[in-house]
Amino acid sequence: MSVDTALPTKEKSATHRRANRILEAVLTQRIVLLGVLIVVVVIVLMYLSANGYLTGDYDFDYMSATLIDAVPLALLGFAELIVIVSGRGGIDLSVGAMVSLVGMIFGFAYGQWGWPLWAAIPLALLVGGVLGGINGLLIAHVGFPALIATLATYYAYKSVALVINDQKPINSTQIQDLYSLTGSVRIPLIGDYIPDVPLGVFTFLAPVLVILWLVLARGTYGRRLYAVGTNDTAARWAGIGVAATRMRAYILSGVLSGLVAVYISAEFASARPDAGTSGNGLALPAITIAVLGGVAITGGIGRLAGVLLATVLIVWLNAGIILYFEGNAGSQFQLLALGVVLIVAALLNGLTTSRYRGTG
Amino acid sequence: MSITVDPNAAPTAPSVRGRGRVLPAPVTPAEIVLGVVLVVLWAALAFATPAFLSAGSIIPLLVEVAPVALIGIGMTFVIIAGGIDVSVGGAIMVCSVVTAKLMRDQGLPLILCVAVAIAAGAVLGLMNGLLIAYGRVHAIIITFGTANVFLFIGLQIFGSQPVSGMPNTLAWFGRGVAGQTLGVPHSFAITVLLAAVAWWYLRHTAGGRHFLGIGGDAVAARLAGIRVQRRVLLTYVITGVLIGLASIFTLAKGTSSLDQSVGNGQELAVIAAVVIGGTSIMGGRGSVLGTLLGALLVQTVKSGVTQLGWPSQLSDLFVGIFIVLAVGTDLLRQRTRRAG
Repeated sequence: MSVDTALPTKEKSATHRRANRILEAVLTQRIVLLGVLIVVVVIVLMYLSANGYLTGDYDFDYMSATLIDAVPLALLGFAELIVIVSGRGGIDLSVGAMVSLVGMIFGFAYGQWGWPLWAAIPLALLVGGVLGGINGLLIAHVGFPALIATLATYYAYKSVALVINDQKPINSTQIQDLYSLTGSVRIPLIGDYIPDVPLGVFTFLAPVLVILWLVLARGTYGRRLYAVGTNDTAARWAGIGVAATRMRAYILSGVLSGLVAVYISAEFASARPDAGTSGNGLALPAITIAVLGGVAITGGIGRLAGVLLATVLIVWLNAGIILYFEGNAGSQFQLLALGVVLIVAALLNGLTTSRYRGTG
Repeated sequence: MSITVDPNAAPTAPSVRGRGRVLPAPVTPAEIVLGVVLVVLWAALAFATPAFLSAGSIIPLLVEVAPVALIGIGMTFVIIAGGIDVSVGGAIMVCSVVTAKLMRDQGLPLILCVAVAIAAGAVLGLMNGLLIAYGRVHAIIITFGTANVFLFIGLQIFGSQPVSGMPNTLAWFGRGVAGQTLGVPHSFAITVLLAAVAWWYLRHTAGGRHFLGIGGDAVAARLAGIRVQRRVLLTYVITGVLIGLASIFTLAKGTSSLDQSVGNGQELAVIAAVVIGGTSIMGGRGSVLGTLLGALLVQTVKSGVTQLGWPSQLSDLFVGIFIVLAVGTDLLRQRTRRAG
């Protein structure tokens, strides 16, 4: 009797344990959760598309084309990742304002002063770095709380960007021709089998991703950054230049914003003074993406892959929502989706850490 | 005569000082500096543009400052207790569009409009508060999320076009003659009154001191017997209620139509006012009086820039500079105090 029953329970407990482990991975590891969510979203939307519920085709071509929106969002998400990981309440509310201001300066240099592109883009990155450096100086060296320093510079940069050219955009022919930077390309060799991918993914997103991955996950700077973000005091006793490390995080955020400024100028064929600050601005979506991607607001925790997956999830979800609704109702439901996904992901994180880690 | 007074005064002096350590001075040095800056700014503007100190210029300024200052009172509670609320803009949109539609379509009287707006604000605040107090998630994340949800709700109620052709129900709160008593706009008077009540509550009642305790150290506050979650929840409900009332002020000071840009960017304006007023973003320290002065300063800069004939967008640059100066001097003062 006992031998008969013992075997099935053991087997059952083994499968049970495996199911439990998968559940734990989904609930506690943000990257797994995001991967599952992306698959679910894509399957549901493709099912809806196949049955004619959507106003357009939700297929791989469409999904690939929408990645054009993912580039600026992901880059700014990376910027927020770096500053939030740097700890002590790190956050950058000024990224959108930096995009606006750098965009205008890039517009002047390339569109009006006739600078060549190879000089105008480094100028944009340099200006972005300087603007980010002002944030870093206030936060890392003077000791401002990041929320306040970047709130102040948000106002200042936004204002200067609007005033600098009398609220007028710069859209000379040079800037308009930049649009070719963001067109779609066929990937060589395997291009016949997969959809065309927006060029920005290769010219902007991929190089940045590789460089940041080398810097954050393979370089000493990354180790210092995570150490500073995890514990300020411990990092100082370990001989790390805390202020310099944190300062560089904000400079990096500025440089990334400068890059996004170039990208957005090219995408819209115009350098607009409110490129990063109109409506809700770019900072709030970027912070939302970073948090959704598993970056802990307390610092020291966060991975590039999480932010990248979160971006892809939101972009593909938004692309489906736009097709589901007629007219501009879709853009409103995108807000709802972003808000609900963020809150649910954050709540889930809070609950599961206490369920599986026994703390919190 | 004077000799008999002095010995009496001497023994009481140390006890007053002893109490002063528990309770900060009624007006902090930072607030005095802020007040002086405000007076200097007004004097300079009056000198540069003589029209600045006329009633035609001051009254719109007070009407304009009322909503930001009013929400600032609630935000002061939130930030003192260690939280933050970035969903203010969306909440203003929901409260004002609900009220505007009911006012126009159902012809609600003034008192019901106020009740509806406050109820809507309270519900939204309750939503924020419940998620933050019981969800174990940082306030900034939750309110970033609810900001999007509130915007969605507001835009859905708007439909696709602005609300136009609203009746003049709210004139009592407006910028016209009906909205003033003895030259003081009602909306501003109510804001000052509520600020005074909040100032007293925060300083002189145990309940008010609890918020400061929570912001200083939430764990210690819990061990001291404070129901931290309920108090935190309360700060967001207070903010929600004040957002409701501020939405009435916003509707009243506008024209007969309301468009989708209502509330846009207000969360940062409110936080700027609170921060300039000397409330520590880390929690545990701050005052409502400072917030009122901070809101006045921001609005003075805005109206001053327009009256000087400068581009109106330039005012944000000065707001940014004032935030840096206000918080920077506070940081320096703390540093010297710690060193000394």
